[in-house]
Amino acid sequence: MDILPLTINNLNYEINDNFILKNINMRTSEKGVTIIAGNNGSGKSTLLKILHGLINIPQNTIKWGNYKISDVKRNQSMVFQNPLLLNRTTYENLIYVNNQKNIKDKYNIEEIIEKLNLKNIINLNAKYLSGGERQKVAIAMAIIGNPKIIFLDEPTSQLDPVYKNEIEFIINSLANHDTKIFMTSHDISQIRRIGKEIIFLNDGEILYKNSVIQFFKEKQCDLIENYINYG
Amino acid sequence: MLINILETAFNLIISFNEDLFEIIGLSLRVTMSALLIAVLISIPLGAFLVFYKNRLQSFIVLLANTLMGMPPVVLGLLIYTLVSKQGIFGFLDILYTPTAMILAQTLLIIPIVVSLTYEEIYKKNKEFDLFLSSLNLTKFKKLKTLIYESRYALVTVALTGFGRASAEVGAVMIVGGNINHFTRVMTTAIAFETSKGSIELAVALGLILILISLIITLLIKSLRKIS
Repeated sequence: MDILPLTINNLNYEINDNFILKNINMRTSEKGVTIIAGNNGSGKSTLLKILHGLINIPQNTIKWGNYKISDVKRNQSMVFQNPLLLNRTTYENLIYVNNQKNIKDKYNIEEIIEKLNLKNIINLNAKYLSGGERQKVAIAMAIIGNPKIIFLDEPTSQLDPVYKNEIEFIINSLANHDTKIFMTSHDISQIRRIGKEIIFLNDGEILYKNSVIQFFKEKQCDLIENYINYG
Repeated sequence: MLINILETAFNLIISFNEDLFEIIGLSLRVTMSALLIAVLISIPLGAFLVFYKNRLQSFIVLLANTLMGMPPVVLGLLIYTLVSKQGIFGFLDILYTPTAMILAQTLLIIPIVVSLTYEEIYKKNKEFDLFLSSLNLTKFKKLKTLIYESRYALVTVALTGFGRASAEVGAVMIVGGNINHFTRVMTTAIAFETSKGSIELAVALGLILILISLIITLLIKSLRKIS
């Protein structure tokens, strides 16, 4: 299943006559990490939710390769800003997702536990996990079944540098193994480190879209310059 | 005088007085049966209502909330008119039987469990909706997950229903008739024994009721802690 290029045609989304996203048109074939940046309220999280099919939009607005969102939904997963874990142990949370995705083999889970170094917390109830541990478990749940696309909504915004580094390593390793990552972030140094492509939103519109290298090389408008300087 | 009454009441309890424990046994049987039936109907219904937002759903939620505060005697009277010989369900011949009492208590508990279940599942759905939708689950699977995630809260809901039913006197008195060795339960026995001046048995039953209430409260407290 070839999910790229991603094409968005004239995407508009409004709530109570307020446009959250306006006239979004874009096409991307970038295989690595695409960063969605922008100030608070610019529509980043809404765009991720729409791409993941959590918000309904008119058909054919978004195409993943030749597929509709509903066709690729099973190959996608999302990690939310505040990781949502069930009131069960880490292992039971992983098993839950495994079962819901109808994966019979538990080997996948053992491999993920090993890869993400979750052994110490595997029997701990999710409510006792720290912010960083919760985020790691949420990522572990997201990568069960090897999805082709993962959406990460500010996955490291509340984490200390050690966990941030660990999660960036995981994101990079996923991207290097052909998982398309869409990630929102405010962290400029993180964008430099792991981003390949950037989409900058302002008031629901695309203000800039290019490679991350070009983003930092080119002279930008005041809004983006300020974002870069203070980010 | 109070000391003497309490002493006699305690003696009745610790000597396993046959009449006393027959009444307790019937009370628990009636209330547990009512609770089981009510929970089997109300928890799925309350949870189901979260997923279907329409006028009927709003009406059922409003009705459940309203009936939560319905006076048991009114409910008893309603059931009486339905199951008495002249009533439309008179052919069932259940008036003045434990079955009628179970029916009354079931109808008393249902609005409580529906309403509180709806509240609990609504809260959990708000918390987990994005996550569960992200997994592309069907409504039925979401419902199953939300019920499981609310398990401790739902046991608390059931215990609340049990507490309400076990303390109820008006409805079971009307539809059960308080017949000795047949439909006499703790609350009706307390009312009856007090009225005829046999206060010791009434106090013994009252102590048992308080004990049951204490156990329920402790269970609810510890379940809240776990959840």
